[in-house]
Amino acid sequence: MLELKKLYFTVQGSGDDNGAPRNIIDGIDFYFEKGKFYVITGPNGSGKTTLAKLIMGINPISSGSIFFEGKDISGLSITERAKAGIAYSFQQPARFKGITFRDLLSIVTGTDDEKKFLETVGRVGICPLSFLDKEIDATLSGGEIKKIELATTIAANPKLAIYDEPDTGIDLWTIGPMVSLLKKELTEKTTTIVVSHNKAFLDVADVIIIIDKGRIAYTGDLEKALPLLTDLSICAYHHKCEGDQDAGCLR
Amino acid sequence: MLDALDKKLLKTVADLEVLPKGAFNIRKNGKLLQRQVSANINIETNAEGTGIIVTIKPGTKNESVHIPVILSQAGLFDVVYNSFIIGEGAEVTIIAGCGIHCGSSEPEGHAGIHDFQVGKKAKVTYVEKHFAMGEGRGRRTLNPTTKVFLDEGATAEMELTQISGVDEADRLNEATLGPGSLLLITERVLTEGEQRAASTNNIILQGSGSRANMISRSVMKGNSKQIFHASMEARAKCFGHIECDAIIMDNGTNETMPALKALHPDAELTHEASIGKIANDQLTKLMSLGLTYDEAVNRIIQGFLK
Repeated sequence: MLELKKLYFTVQGSGDDNGAPRNIIDGIDFYFEKGKFYVITGPNGSGKTTLAKLIMGINPISSGSIFFEGKDISGLSITERAKAGIAYSFQQPARFKGITFRDLLSIVTGTDDEKKFLETVGRVGICPLSFLDKEIDATLSGGEIKKIELATTIAANPKLAIYDEPDTGIDLWTIGPMVSLLKKELTEKTTTIVVSHNKAFLDVADVIIIIDKGRIAYTGDLEKALPLLTDLSICAYHHKCEGDQDAGCLR
Repeated sequence: MLDALDKKLLKTVADLEVLPKGAFNIRKNGKLLQRQVSANINIETNAEGTGIIVTIKPGTKNESVHIPVILSQAGLFDVVYNSFIIGEGAEVTIIAGCGIHCGSSEPEGHAGIHDFQVGKKAKVTYVEKHFAMGEGRGRRTLNPTTKVFLDEGATAEMELTQISGVDEADRLNEATLGPGSLLLITERVLTEGEQRAASTNNIILQGSGSRANMISRSVMKGNSKQIFHASMEARAKCFGHIECDAIIMDNGTNETMPALKALHPDAELTHEASIGKIANDQLTKLMSLGLTYDEAVNRIIQGFLK
């Protein structure tokens, strides 16, 4: 249902590498099947979030193409991709002044139907009374805003749901229910892509994709992925790191 | 009598579709159009004949007063001095506002000078909306002044809004807070085209345990300009906060000057100020929910000025 063809995202280099352009996403080809649960993982700075943002249209692709349900969406705006049925849950959700959870739900569902809102909010397992009229502002805790972010994505009933690090800021005992929720929302009509390091998500994935240095290093099940995941230090400095001797490294 | 135009202005500035229940005073083109008093709320013309005195009896609960002003006479600049005396323990909502319809090239304007004496433990909610419309190109000026004195334990919640169409505004808010009193001001100003608006706010925290929170939200569209001054002066153990945010669209400009003066060692004063364009992550978020760029901008501004 989603196909990435020779996908590149290139940025102007920094002083470190004499200004040479750098491929953050370095030629990715992949086919996502309808109704499956994908987890993208890999070291920090490997290009996971960038890849997710390329699919949503938040970052423009440098070359290559993206096909969604057989149509080339490479040139479509964020809005058009949203309307086509792609929903995106941000790692760091935006905070507003004067916009409530209810407002976001009403934008995403195109209705002001209270019943429908309550049904959605209930599905996500958050208290409708305390949340619905809350402003999405700086007073929300990290966990609260992430729950709202998830609920908004789920309320869109997307064909493709992308969650970037959905467990950031979520308390440990909520992660289990969250995994079950995303798994439950997955029907044969929805495809789910989760960007995460959390084993709880890796455990339930149909397919794990490991990205390293902008390329796909592995696709397949968890069992064969595990040795690779231990090998690839989950660290942006693995090219410089002196491993155990490096004081302060918790790996 | 109210004509269609008057009704539209009244609907916009005071949310009135029909004449309100309870006390009201409607002023049109510098003259009294209609007045009604209630058992607890008296309205009378002041001795100089330049405005009204609204007196709320002590202990009055859940009552409201509407005092809208409408202008549609070319070349008129209407100045009015209104006083509000709110008795001890009373709870009242005052809805003011001025709507200008300008149909010619002659200027029209209104300056409303409102002073509030809020009695012990009384609570007043003051809502003021300013709006101008019309096909005429005459300049529309609105210069409101509010002066508030809060007695011990009194509360004033003020919502001051300038919606659209006002070419020139010079706004002044002054307040002196007694012991244990609370002042909440929210000011929202939208300017567009070549409009100019200035807002000056001087808040004196005089009494021990007084608290003040001033929130200002400004949006500058087109080539418009806004200047915002807010000063909080603490003369006792008290708490004061100023929060001023300005969103620049197109080529608008803004100057924001919050000032905190602590004249007492136990004063706690804080401020946060920001000026900038709409944050990119907000736009991206709303577009990812299916809004177009323009719809997302409108939604954010609407919320910001809500």
